[in-house]
Amino acid sequence: MAESNKKLAATIKPLVPAPLAGIASLILPGLGQALTQQAKRGIVLLAAFGTTVALFVWRLTDLAHREPTLWKKLGKAYHLNATFVTAVIIFLLLMWLAIAWDAYHSAKVKRRGGFAVFVSVIAVFFALGWQISQIDLVKMVKEAPDALPPLSRVLWPWKAAITYKTETVSAAARVLTGTEYELPPLLPHKEGEPYLEVSPRRGELSQQDSQGNIIPGTTLHITGHNFKPNTVTQIWWVDPIGNEFRIRNEGKYVDVETDNQGNFKKSIVMPYRLIPPSSEGPLVHQVEARQISQSGPPLPSEPLRLTIGRMIETIFMGMMATFFGIIFSIPISFLAARNIMRGSFLTMTIYYLTRTVLNIVRSIEPLIWALIAVVWVGLGPFAGIVALTLHSIAALGKLYSEAIEGIDHGPIEAIQATGANSLQTIMFGVIPQMISPFISFSIYRWDINVRMSTVIGLVGGGGIGFLLVQYIRLLDYRAAGIAVWFIAVTVAILDYVSAEIRARMT
Amino acid sequence: MLKVRNLTKVYDDGTQALTDVSFDVEDGEFLVVIGLSGSGKSTLLRCINRLIEPTAGQVFWNEKEITAAEGQELRHIRRNFGMIFQHFNLVKRSSVMTNVLSGRLGYVSTGRSLLHRFSQADREMARAALKRAGITEQANKLARELSGGQQQRVGIARALMQQPKLILADEPVASLDPVLAHTILRDLERLNQEDRMTVICSLHYLDLVQRYGTKVIGLRDGRVVYQGTQEQIRAMTDNEFKEIYGEEAERVAAGPTKGTE
Repeated sequence: MAESNKKLAATIKPLVPAPLAGIASLILPGLGQALTQQAKRGIVLLAAFGTTVALFVWRLTDLAHREPTLWKKLGKAYHLNATFVTAVIIFLLLMWLAIAWDAYHSAKVKRRGGFAVFVSVIAVFFALGWQISQIDLVKMVKEAPDALPPLSRVLWPWKAAITYKTETVSAAARVLTGTEYELPPLLPHKEGEPYLEVSPRRGELSQQDSQGNIIPGTTLHITGHNFKPNTVTQIWWVDPIGNEFRIRNEGKYVDVETDNQGNFKKSIVMPYRLIPPSSEGPLVHQVEARQISQSGPPLPSEPLRLTIGRMIETIFMGMMATFFGIIFSIPISFLAARNIMRGSFLTMTIYYLTRTVLNIVRSIEPLIWALIAVVWVGLGPFAGIVALTLHSIAALGKLYSEAIEGIDHGPIEAIQATGANSLQTIMFGVIPQMISPFISFSIYRWDINVRMSTVIGLVGGGGIGFLLVQYIRLLDYRAAGIAVWFIAVTVAILDYVSAEIRARMT
Repeated sequence: MLKVRNLTKVYDDGTQALTDVSFDVEDGEFLVVIGLSGSGKSTLLRCINRLIEPTAGQVFWNEKEITAAEGQELRHIRRNFGMIFQHFNLVKRSSVMTNVLSGRLGYVSTGRSLLHRFSQADREMARAALKRAGITEQANKLARELSGGQQQRVGIARALMQQPKLILADEPVASLDPVLAHTILRDLERLNQEDRMTVICSLHYLDLVQRYGTKVIGLRDGRVVYQGTQEQIRAMTDNEFKEIYGEEAERVAAGPTKGTE
C-alpha cells in the first residue's frame, strides 16, 4: 500500500498552486483534482457529488410534490422530515468541503489525501439510503407488542396441529310467532333421552323500531331434562329457514350448566330476526340446547394434514425438477465444455451460444420463471416444476460442463494406449472421472430445488408455499406456523443429508 | 524389432517437436531416451503407439507399418506396447483392480467390457499382477488412496495385463524419490531381462541411464544428437552428458547425479 502510494506520488504534478486547486474544487467539485492531474479522481468525486445532489432533489420532490419551487419543496420537506433534510445538507456540505480540501492538500504535499473525502461520500449515501428505503426503527420498536401474539402463534403453532372428534347431545323445542296459527305439535322424545320444554310456546321476536332501538321479545323459560349432568350447555336458536345461531345476552353467549340429574332451567329473550314481510304460513322457530364434548384420541388437524401433503408435494416437485434438469443438462453440458467443443469454428460458435443462453437463463431467478410458467401451464405444482427445471438446466449445465472441462487427459491416454476402442475409453477413462462431481452437483441441486420449491408456491407454483401464503392472508397464524416449521425442518434435514452425501463423494 | 524412420511431428501451433528421427530397437533391448524437457521425448514415445499422430515418417513393428494401421488393426498393435507414465495416469476414482483390469480392454469385447464382465482368467491374471507388484491388499482401494510408488506399480501392472512385447515408459520415475526410482527401474529391468520385453524409457539422470540402459539415444530440439551402446554410455563423462543437455545441464543433471548415490 505504502509502495503504491509512493508510485502514485510521482504522477501528481499540480498545474496550479495548491490554494487555487482548492478554490477550483469549491466552484466545481473535482475540478481542483483535475487541475492537479488526477482527472479520474476528479471525475469520480464530481460524479459522486452530482449523484448525491440529484438523489436529494428527487427525494425532496417526492416528499413535497405539491410545492411549485425547489426552495419551497425544501421548506416543506424540512417540515416533514427535519432529521433527514438536515443530515443530508450537513453531509453534502462536508463532502463539498472535503473535496476542496482534498484538492488543496494533494496539490500541496503532492500525494493523495486520506479517506476523509470518501468517508463523507459514504455518509451522504447512507443518509439518502436510510430515507429512500424507508427505514423506521421507531415503528419497529413501537409495533413489536402488537406483532407479538401472531408471532408467538407462528413460533409455537402446535395447538392448531391436533383436533378431537366432537360428540353432541342436543334436544329442541318449537316456538311459534304470531297469533293466527295453531300451535305445532310437541317434538316427540323417547324415555331417558334428553328433551326440552319451553313456555310459553308462542311469542314475539325482538324487534327494532324506526330509531333503531331494540324492543325485547317475549321471555321464554326453558327447562331441560335428561342431559349429561354438570356439563356446560349451549343455547341455540334455529329460525324457520334453518339458520342456526347461538343466543346472546348483551353480546355474550348464553350458556347454562346442568345439575347433578342433568336438568337445567334458563330464561332467554326471543332474539331479533329479520322476517320477510311477505312470508306466509306459521313461522315455527326452534330453541335448541346442545352439549358438545371432545371424544376419542387426538387427531391431526386439517392444517397439519394439508401441510404434510403439501410438504410431500414440495419435496417431489424439487425431485422431479432435478430429474428433468439432469436429463436435459447432460447433453447441453457437453456443448458448453470448451475442451469438447474446441475442434472448429462452428463448434466454438455453438459453445459460446450455449454458454450465453445458460448464463441468461441462470441469471433469472426461479421465482420469475415461475411467474412466466404460471402464465404458460397454469397454477399448480407443474408450473413450479417447469420454472425449477429451466433454472436447474442452466445451473447444472454450467457445473457439469466445468466438471467435463476439469477431466484429466492422462488416464484417457493411458486407456487408449492399452488398445481400447473409443467406447471403452469413455467407459473406463471418462465416466469414472465425471460420475463423482456429477452426483455431487446433482444432489446439491436437489437440495436447492426443494428449498426453492418451498417459496415458489408464493407466486402460484404449487407446493407448500401456496398453502403458506393462503394461511397468512387468512390471518391463520397457527396454521401458517405449522407450514413454516415443516419448511424449516425439511430444509435443515435436506441440507444435512446433502452435505453428508457430498462429503462422501469427494 | 522396432524401426523408426524419419519421424517428424509438427504441432498445430507450429511447434517442431520431432525432426527426422530415425533409430532401430532390437528385441530385448533397454533403450533409454535422454534429453531436456521439451526436447521431444514424450512426443517420440507417443508417436510410436500413435497416441500422437506423426506428421511424417514411418514406424515399423516387426515389418508391419504402425503409421499406416487404422482402427482395429492399430488397436491390436497397441496391445503389444505397454505404456507407463510420469504421472501414472491412473483413473484416480476407480479401484486399483479396475485400473489393472482396464489394461485388458484391448482383448475384451466392447459389450462385455462396458458391463464390466471380465473373464475369470482376466481377473486371475490381474490378481497375479497385483501380487507381483506387491500390492495385493490395496486391490479394492481407490487408486488415489495409494502412494506415488504404489500408483506407479499399479501402472506397471496395468501395462503387464496387455502381455506386451514392448514397454514404453515416459519418465516413469520423474515423480518419485531416488530410492523408489531404483525400485521401479529394477522392476522394468527384470521385465527386460527375465521376460525378454523390449523397454523404451525416457530418463533424466545420468547415473540411472548408466545403470539401466543397454542403448541410449539423446534428443535435442527434436533431433537425435547422440546414439550410444552400453559400453559407450558407461564410459560417458558428465561433460559429454552435458553436451546433449546443453547449457542448462548444470541444474538438470549435476545435482541429482550425486544425490542418488
